[in-house]
This record gives sequence, C-alpha cells and structure tokens, in this order.
Amino acid sequence: MLGRARVDAVIEVDDVRKAYGDVKAVDGVSFQVAKGEIFGLLGPNGAGKTTTMEMIEGLHAPDSGELRVLGMDVRRFASQIKSRIGVQLQTAALYPQLTVTELLDLFASFFGRRPATERLLQDLELTEKRNARTKTLSGGQQQRLSVALALVNDPEVVFLDEPTTGLDPAARQGLWGVIRRMQGEGRTILMTTHYMEEAEALCDRLAIMDHGRILDSGTVDELIGRRFRERGVRFGRAGAPEEEKLKALPAVSRVVYEADEVVLYTGDVSATIAALLELTSRARTEPANLMIRRASLEDVFLELTGRALRD
Amino acid sequence: MRRLAALSVANLKSFVRDRAALFWTLAFPVVFVILFGTIFSGSGAQYNLAWVDQDGSQTSTQLRDAFAGNAPVDLTDATLEEAKAKMQSGDVDGILVIPRGLQAVIDGVGAGQHPDPIDVTVITDPSRSNTALAIQQIATGLVMAANLRLSGAAPLLTVLSEQLQTNQLNAVSFFVPSILAMALMQLGVFASIPLVQQREKLILKRLNATPLPRWAFVGSNVAVRLVIAAVQTALILGIGVVVLGVQLQGNPLLIGGFVLLGALTFTSIGYVIASFARTEEAANGITSVVQFPLMFLSGIFFPLEVLPPYLKTVATFMPLTYLGDALRQTMVGGAPFVPLSVDFAVLGGWLLVTLAISARFFRWQ
Repeated sequence: MLGRARVDAVIEVDDVRKAYGDVKAVDGVSFQVAKGEIFGLLGPNGAGKTTTMEMIEGLHAPDSGELRVLGMDVRRFASQIKSRIGVQLQTAALYPQLTVTELLDLFASFFGRRPATERLLQDLELTEKRNARTKTLSGGQQQRLSVALALVNDPEVVFLDEPTTGLDPAARQGLWGVIRRMQGEGRTILMTTHYMEEAEALCDRLAIMDHGRILDSGTVDELIGRRFRERGVRFGRAGAPEEEKLKALPAVSRVVYEADEVVLYTGDVSATIAALLELTSRARTEPANLMIRRASLEDVFLELTGRALRD
Repeated sequence: MRRLAALSVANLKSFVRDRAALFWTLAFPVVFVILFGTIFSGSGAQYNLAWVDQDGSQTSTQLRDAFAGNAPVDLTDATLEEAKAKMQSGDVDGILVIPRGLQAVIDGVGAGQHPDPIDVTVITDPSRSNTALAIQQIATGLVMAANLRLSGAAPLLTVLSEQLQTNQLNAVSFFVPSILAMALMQLGVFASIPLVQQREKLILKRLNATPLPRWAFVGSNVAVRLVIAAVQTALILGIGVVVLGVQLQGNPLLIGGFVLLGALTFTSIGYVIASFARTEEAANGITSVVQFPLMFLSGIFFPLEVLPPYLKTVATFMPLTYLGDALRQTMVGGAPFVPLSVDFAVLGGWLLVTLAISARFFRWQ
C-alpha cells in the first residue's frame, strides 16, 4: 500500500492491472524501487514485463491501480515525470538517415537541454561512430545508442527494456559496465530481462513475473535461500559407493541418481564432502567430476512456474 | 518552438538523405510535366514546312519571320524541287511557295496602284487530311494576316496571331496547374506512409516517452511537407513557364494560398489514412486506393465538361477537382468550374473534417 511506502521509494507500483480484451497482460502487480537501486523484472516473453514498465513510463494507462514515479502520480504529472526519466525501448532504429550526433542532439532538444554529447559518446563507446548514419550501426552499437538516448536528459530514473537482447557476450558485458556506471552516478534503474545471468549479475533486487503476475521478489540470495537451503554435491555415478552408505553420510537429506551422476543434497557441504572422500579413499577410489552446485535463479524459476525459462 | 524547429530540421534531413524518396517526390512531377508538355505540344500543334521563297525580297523575309514567330511551324528553306523531295521522304509536312513578284505587288500598293493579287501556293498531302487541313488553315491565316496588315488593319492581324498561340498553349496551360494539384495531392496522401512506418518501428512511442508535445511532432511533419510542397511548386511552375512557355497570371498570394490549403488538406487526408492503416503494407494499399480515383476522376487531366455525366457527378465529390479548378483559375485564368469561394469552402471543409477524424482515431502506438 502507498501508505507503507518507503520514504526513499522512487518507483511505487500498487496493484496495477491492464487487460487487452480478454488477455490480462498485467494482473495485480505491486512493487517498489528504492533510490539508487537496480531493480529487474525477470520473466519469459509475454509475462507482462514490458507492459508494466511502459505503464510506469506513462505510455499506457493502467485499467486500475496506482503508479507513482519520483513521488508524482504518473497520470497527473506525465510530462514532469517524462523530463526526469530516461527510457530505452526495444527499438533502436530511429531516424536511420540521421547521424549518431544529430540524433543525440535532437533528443536533447526535446528536453530543452544542451546535450552532453561528447560525454555520452565516450561513455557508450560511440565516439568513432559519431558521424555515421544510425542505419549503418551494428546491433550492439544501435543498442548502445538507444541507451545513450535514454541518458540525454541526465535522468534520475532510467528504464531499460531488455537492453542486451541480441548482443554477443562481449557487447553484453560492456553494457553491463555502462549500467553499473549509471548506478554509480546515483541513478535508479528499472530493467527487464529474460537472461538469468544478467539478472544475477546486475540487479540488487528483482521480481519474477509470469502471466502478468509477480511470483516472488527480493534479492537473488533471498529468492534462492527461501526455497533452496541445500546445495547439491554431484559426482560420476560409475564406481560410486552404494546408496545406503551415501544416505548415511552427515547432513545428507536425499540421494538422487541421474543419468550419469549421483546428487547428494546437503545442508553442510564441508561435512558431507569430507565424509564422502573418506569413504572413497577407503575403497581406494575417488569421486569423478566432483562438483558443488548451489541452486540458481533458474532453479527458482523452475520451482515457481514449473518450467524452465529458456524454452 | 525550438523543439519544433529541431524536429523539422531532422525530418527534412532524413527526407533529403533518402535519395529514393527525394527522386520520387521531386523528379517525378518534373518528368511528368516535361513528358506531358512535350506530348501536348507535339500532337499536331507543330508542323514542319518547307519555305520556298521565289521572291527573295525584303517583304518575303519579313513575312517568313512573322510566320515563323507566330505560327506553330518549323520552317526549312528550300527550292521547290528540294521541298518536294523532302515532302516525299516525310521530312516536311507541307510546302509554302512565296511567288516571284511579291515585292513588286507590295511596292505597287505603296505607290497607290491596284495590282492583281498574287498566289501563295500551299502544297499538302491529301493522304494526311488532318495535317493538310491544319496547314491550309495556317497558310490561310498567314495570307489573311498579310493582307490585313498591308491594307493597314494591324489590330486584326494581332488578334489572328494570338488565336494561333492560345490554341497551342491551351493544353499545356490546362495541364501545368493540374500536375501541380496532382503533386500536392500525392505529397499529402503519401504522408501516411512514413507515419505508419514510424509507428510500426515504435518511433512514435519513443518520442511519446519524451516531453516532446504531440503538436510539435505533427507540426514538424506538416512543416516539412509544406517545404517540400513549396519546392515542388517552384519546380513545376518554373518548368511550365521556362520550358513550356505557360504564361502565369493572377495574384501570387491567392495562388500561394490555394497551394497551401491544398497541401494541408491532402496531408490531413494522409493522416486519416495513417489513422486506420496498421501496417506499412496497409498504408501503401489504402494510399493507392485513395490516390488513383482522385487522380483520374477529378477532372485534373480532362476538362470536366468532356467527362460523361456520371463521372462528372463523381468528380464533384473529389477534393482534387476543386484544387485543380482553383489553381487553373488563379494561375492561367482557366474557365471556372465553380467560383473560387466554393473551391475554398470545399477544400477547407475537407480539411476540417479530416482533421477531426484523425484527431479522433490517430494512434501513437
């Protein structure tokens, strides 16, 4: 409820709903983003992430619910809010015939600002391409340009919609650096993604969405810790000790046989492994491909929705 | 205002840098004017005649100059034998023979005598009866003009030669304002396509996420259309005047006013198309469907009087009919289809109605 809003909440979303015909695109979503936070909306395509974000940006009106940005009601103060936020959409191909510099200057003019073009070009590694028509840019460069456009007005809040989709791993890492730098400059960031590792690497907190609802939210550790206290100790099945002996090892709750591997679920990794090694050394063998695996966001998502994110 | 200016400049740059769009918008109407202008002035209006001057006097030379200057003819000097050979081979359409003794007759008149009339011979090809008839008329005109002039009735000579000229120019004079009207119409309705493209590519949405007011967006698009319309108008009229010899008359402010009103009205129709077309393909389709009837059922290429009655009825509903009518009236003094005030009212009405429709139905995303 808004009454319980944190004092420093920059984005407040309270029970927001939006339907297109019979499809409930957003079905009662609530969350808050604190100043200086990177908050992620994680979910598959069609989960309602983009619609939620665009309602906060003032591009769609919600059917019901309350939306506040920087303490202002989104519907009543749309234009004031727009001048203090930066928006990156899932499109970069704006005005293909203009050059990078011209496009940055044009967007700055919408905000009535003198553009900090040089700095943006430098920060987003576009200096070499400054006089290139935007249609000639590569996918990664276009993506960086659309992020640069989101920063022309030196915004307090930045909205990034799947900013690294379609980028190669190097370009993705580069953009992550840019996003962290934005945070370092004191900006608040709301982003959507369907990459687990991106959410894990960047987001202070995140909300997992599916079918227009938030299934759970919190820090990555909270999300994992809430349902996976145990770690998995896994090793090759060939030559492994028999099941009875494994079940008897300290802290082991379950033993699961997979195709080629055995997985021991344990609440105390060191105790379990020490005992396991003792067991195998007595048999003059050692566990093959021994691995400790903690649960990931992927497991959380699987647990929450019953399916893997990347189908 | 600064935002409006910045966006207008950006739109204009985008337009100028898109070579294909530039070509179709600017070169196409120009090619059209030149092509049709040539067809009209070539269709029986210009004749190649052999000029056989057997007198070789000052009077015969003056006669030749006056004739070449005022009649739709190209003259080739030749002897009678050469001329006949040229006509046989199709190089000339007919022969005019100015007989020996012309100067003597003129001198005789000057001296108060009454010499016998002298024959100017016209040789034509009866197998090409239209051409033959036209050349005979032209030659008769020449002879009558010369007679009148020599008997001191100069004003009548002027009337006759201007008639020849007006007949020739009428088709082109009719045509140039029509091309302009057509170009303005196309420029306007084709405004729908970049709009739909920008919506499909989410550019409109992206702009909507900035404080840029919508009026500034629409304003800059319309401003750019008007700039292009002005360039098109200058090109078409320039070619009309310089190349095709169309004589512009009338109040430039009035002409400019109708050009502006026409550009606005058809751009507004373009916005209506963009309001209902969801994809670029749909916009292309609807634009063609709107454009072709406008072009061919609006009496811009044919005088409304020659259309069959039912087509004439259709034409009275087309806004382009009224733009063409207004431009013809104001630019070349064309015969009015309706009074200018009615043209203004109809175009203004279309503008208001289409504005209301697009204000109601235009979607930004």
